[in-house]
Amino acid sequence: MAADGRSSKKRKQSQTEDDTAGTFKNAVDMEMLSEEEDGANVESDDGEYEEFPGIDGDTDEDDKEVDEDEEESEDTDLEDHHVFPQAKTIVSDITGQQKRVFPEIEPDYDSDSSTEDGPNRVGNIPMHWYDDLPHVGYDMNGKKVLKPARGDELDKFLETVEDPAAWTSAFDKNTQSDKPLTNEELELIKRLYENEVPDAEYDPYEPTVEWFTGKGKEEVMPLSAAPEPKRRWIPSKWEKKKVMKIVRAIRQGRIVPHKPKTASTQPQFYAIWSDTPSEHAPPIPAPKPALPTNAESYNPPEEYLPTPEERKKWEETDPEDRDRDYLPHKYSSLRLVPGYDRFIKDRFNRQLDLYMAPRVQRVKLNIDPESLIPKLPSPSSLKPFPTYKSLRFSHSGLARCVSISPDGAWVVSGDEKGMVALWEVNVGREVKRWRFGGKIGALQWCPRTDTSYFVVGVEETIHCLVPPHLSPAVYQATQETLAPAHLPPSSESASPVKWTTPASNTWTDETPLLTIRLPPGSGLPNHIAWHRKGDYMASVSSGGNQGGVWIHQISKRHSQAPFKKVKGNVQLVQFHPLKPHFFVATQQYVRMYNLSEQKLIKTLMPGIKWISSMDIHPSGDHLIVGGYDRKLCWFDLELSDKPYKVLRYV
Amino acid sequence: MGRLRQKGKAGAAKAYVTRTAAIKKLQCSLADFRRLCILKGIFPREPRSRKKANKGSSAPTSFYYAKDIAYLAHEPVLRKLREHKAFAKKLSRALGRGEWSDAKSLEENKPVYKLDHIVKERYPTFIDAVRDIDDALCMIFLFASLPSNTRVPPTLVENCARLAAEWQLYVMHSRSLRKAFLSIKGVYYQAEVMDQPVTWLVPYQFTQNIPADVDVRVMLTFLELYQTLLGFVFFKLYTDAGLVYPPPLDAKKDEGAAGIGAFAIQDTTRPTTKPLPKTKVVEIEGRQVTGKDVHKTIKSLAASTTADSNADVDMAGPESTSANDEEDFVPQPSKSDPQSVASLPTLHSLQSLPPTLNTSLFAPYTFFLSRETSRPIFEFLVRSFGGRIGWPASSGSGSPFDENDDSITHVIIDRPVVDRPDETPEERERKSRRKYIQPQWIVDCINAGKILVEGPYAQGVSELPPHLSPFGEQEGAYDPTAQGGEDADMEDEEEEEEVEMDEDGDGDDGEQEEDEEDASANALKAIAEATDEASLRTAELAAEAAGLDSTAFEKEVGKARRKFKKAAKEKSTVKDKEKDMNKMMMSNKQRKLYEKMKYSQNKRSDEVRFLSIRVVHILILSEMQRANLQAKKRDIQKQKAKSKS
Repeated sequence: MAADGRSSKKRKQSQTEDDTAGTFKNAVDMEMLSEEEDGANVESDDGEYEEFPGIDGDTDEDDKEVDEDEEESEDTDLEDHHVFPQAKTIVSDITGQQKRVFPEIEPDYDSDSSTEDGPNRVGNIPMHWYDDLPHVGYDMNGKKVLKPARGDELDKFLETVEDPAAWTSAFDKNTQSDKPLTNEELELIKRLYENEVPDAEYDPYEPTVEWFTGKGKEEVMPLSAAPEPKRRWIPSKWEKKKVMKIVRAIRQGRIVPHKPKTASTQPQFYAIWSDTPSEHAPPIPAPKPALPTNAESYNPPEEYLPTPEERKKWEETDPEDRDRDYLPHKYSSLRLVPGYDRFIKDRFNRQLDLYMAPRVQRVKLNIDPESLIPKLPSPSSLKPFPTYKSLRFSHSGLARCVSISPDGAWVVSGDEKGMVALWEVNVGREVKRWRFGGKIGALQWCPRTDTSYFVVGVEETIHCLVPPHLSPAVYQATQETLAPAHLPPSSESASPVKWTTPASNTWTDETPLLTIRLPPGSGLPNHIAWHRKGDYMASVSSGGNQGGVWIHQISKRHSQAPFKKVKGNVQLVQFHPLKPHFFVATQQYVRMYNLSEQKLIKTLMPGIKWISSMDIHPSGDHLIVGGYDRKLCWFDLELSDKPYKVLRYV
Repeated sequence: MGRLRQKGKAGAAKAYVTRTAAIKKLQCSLADFRRLCILKGIFPREPRSRKKANKGSSAPTSFYYAKDIAYLAHEPVLRKLREHKAFAKKLSRALGRGEWSDAKSLEENKPVYKLDHIVKERYPTFIDAVRDIDDALCMIFLFASLPSNTRVPPTLVENCARLAAEWQLYVMHSRSLRKAFLSIKGVYYQAEVMDQPVTWLVPYQFTQNIPADVDVRVMLTFLELYQTLLGFVFFKLYTDAGLVYPPPLDAKKDEGAAGIGAFAIQDTTRPTTKPLPKTKVVEIEGRQVTGKDVHKTIKSLAASTTADSNADVDMAGPESTSANDEEDFVPQPSKSDPQSVASLPTLHSLQSLPPTLNTSLFAPYTFFLSRETSRPIFEFLVRSFGGRIGWPASSGSGSPFDENDDSITHVIIDRPVVDRPDETPEERERKSRRKYIQPQWIVDCINAGKILVEGPYAQGVSELPPHLSPFGEQEGAYDPTAQGGEDADMEDEEEEEEVEMDEDGDGDDGEQEEDEEDASANALKAIAEATDEASLRTAELAAEAAGLDSTAFEKEVGKARRKFKKAAKEKSTVKDKEKDMNKMMMSNKQRKLYEKMKYSQNKRSDEVRFLSIRVVHILILSEMQRANLQAKKRDIQKQKAKSKS
């Protein structure tokens, strides 16, 4: 119990101080000194006193010794005043230095001997520093204090059992032994346990003693002994002058006392608009409420009066949604008109509008709505165009495709049952019909005028058919084109597309002169487009992994797939009439490719959900795209990739 | 590359502030902010994009112009409001401590704000102010009729009543009332002051109760501003007219509920009161002649001529208007402000005046109000148009003459006719000399600009002619006068009727048949000429009403219908197809605008059609009733004849 030890030491110290103070009083009769001494000991003391550096009533040595440890300063003090016996100076046998040895203090009957005889003098240090050492410290003479022999746990227990005072003793770390607690200490512990003030002498409820206040204890301490000046009891001349000035003003009525300054003053009106107005433009005046109409009259024409249904409807709608805030009512004479119950509410709403409703200035369009519709030429002014049906062809199955020959004399049509029919336009007579195995996907007449044939797309195959009754020269040229005597050299890479021509002896009107077999799995070709010159032809099939797009060259009997892979579902293709450009329409976009450079030029975005048709102007500058959502987009290819104009059929 | 622009440092984010931000900036309470907004006329604005103005938030808030709020920060009224807040604290403290004398002196010196500068600021020119006094007058007239309570102090009501009386006095004196309209909400008046139409609404004389959902504080704040504004406007109007403002109030007359009569109009040039400006001419001519005086003289000359030449009313009318215009032209000599230039009488404004504006319409007549008619309304109306009017003592004191006066030409009466057998011959004689008319006659005369025939408005007539709004309807709205020709020429028809009255029963029947013949022919013609669905239907109904022969009618109708349908179909299909094709070329924006305009057009035309159909229905019903009555009458006559024979 280091703290214990320390406190006991302190107690001793204060004891000695008290003693010294007492001696001082006796010896020198000067209070300052004892205070000074207390100030010097402030570090070790309880901190009751502040250090007081200003008062310097002692010697220089005293000042120097302030920083030295307490015992020494005590000693010097004692030495100065010769209270205790003189110390002897001897040579230490440990350090070999000179040191002062004090005579042993004989403990008096009133000296605190319980702590005095503690042999260990290491001071207030953590005792665990000595845990691994055989000793616990040093005594006054610098000799080691050895740890007392302590038995094992059993011995300790037995000791506690044997010793009746064991429960009132505590382990002292400084001496490494149990020490019985004093009665005072026990008392203190007991009081602490009971949450009482530790000091038994202390009375927290002692009666107050009035030392300085109360009757008869006043102290009279005048600040100045000078007599009262005369001016204290003569009235001021200047004040009198000032007061008289006010009094005179009040008497003359120049000052009205207690006149209200601001309240209850009537507003004064004057010619506020007489001076020139400011340069600022006046604020825009608030919109005026609508003027009353006939319906608001007290005696309106009868047609304005609401029917019971209208009245009910008006009453059922919310006040905010009503188109007028009153119900028309007819009174037979003016004296019967009652007061209008919503008058104040109406005024209030108007005021709310004035200061809370956001105002926006809107330009009111005062135009005829019909003038907004653009004027287009009337269709009747664009005549002549066919206005009535002249012919009617009929197919047994669903007709899926039709194509007109470049000279306009023939029409060929195909249906779902695999029948292709050739018609003469002028007469409407069916000239010939061909039969194929599956559905007819597409039909297209070759645009060349020196030859005459058309292509038919059926399942995985494209047939080139020659119509009958051709002039010999044209027939010759057609034959030359489709089945030349000398076949062009086939390309070295093996193409999946097979071009076959039946032997010349088997040629009839019924069989195709040239058959292009698309690779297996490519499905039905549902769109065929010719280049303007009639040598190239593009087909779009429903299946196939290249988007089903093939470009066939008739003269070289060669087919190629221009795309390895196409994003989206190809609907239509189209050749540019003049440039080597190629348009591919997927469901929503139209892409424009340069075939010779093999790259994408631009992507047109018509904004149509599903493209149904597409065509290009012969000049090659304009493209129109139609969709299933009743929209038509007109692209100018020199402008942006957005439509130049969109027409909606509503 | 331009400088990088930080978000929220320019544009809408800078130009607008939310209400909360404005209050925070001004460091005042919401109530004070509202008060300021009302007084200064600041209102929220709608930014083009709410998100941009509110830092990306689209929460429902109201926005103000940041500049408006910045101006408010220097407002003297705001300072006064803050002072008032401090005063309120001091006062409550003094009251809480029981320091009564302190509280009293505090109360006497409490800060009050003046609104003069705000009036000048909001209405830089007098014309601006006059243009905007509509709402102010409505409020003043409303509060003048309210009962006072703790929230509405009696002094306020008194002041409002005074202002209302002053306005009416001015309007009567300057003869500037133009139109009046008896509506179910109250009486609308329209005066023309400084070439500006001023319309105000006065409630009927009934006790109004302030509803619970009305914030009286807001109304009182508006009223504060309106009182100040009207004070200045009236001051200018009175002084420009050479009158003393405020007009002196005769307390004794006011006690006797004399109303407007309690105020006396006083000329500034002469200290004595002079109710009529007739002899003013002589007095003024002797004085030094300034420009103002000249115009005043011209005006009073015009007034006196109109007053003198009562016999030739229509001649005097246009003269007086031109004099008015000239008078209005001069007091606005402003070189800098283009606003006042715009307010000069242009050709348009001259044309917009009613052609026969006659401000001394009632000058030849003397009216007497019956007990049940509202005195303030008709006193104002009649005196505004130069008439003399008296009333019984039960309607208030100050009547210039009593009921027995011989000069009375018209009695405004609003009660059914009661036979009084105990009439003295004197009374009967007097009664026959006077015309007894219902109140609507006065208003209709004013709106028509001429004296109407009293017949249809006579006392006890149950079915008065409909009272139409003189302000007209919207463009393209249903016009009740255009429907039947008979409604338009009320007088002529009335005269005809009077003639008819003289005829005996048989003659009447003959007339009736003739009428029917005419009607049936007309109906057939209408059916044949009918070009659209609505008119066809109307024609059908008219024919039905005329009691046309059913078979012939059916045939005619069938023919007309077929013809109409065929033509319409052909026309519509071709036209519509072409139109649809043209519509294809419209842009989305244009199409939406077109649809919107078409919608409103259709709605309006639907309403017109609906009303015109209904008027035909009503006609038919009344015709049928009349026919029934006739038939019954005939039956009775026949039976009588039979019983006689």
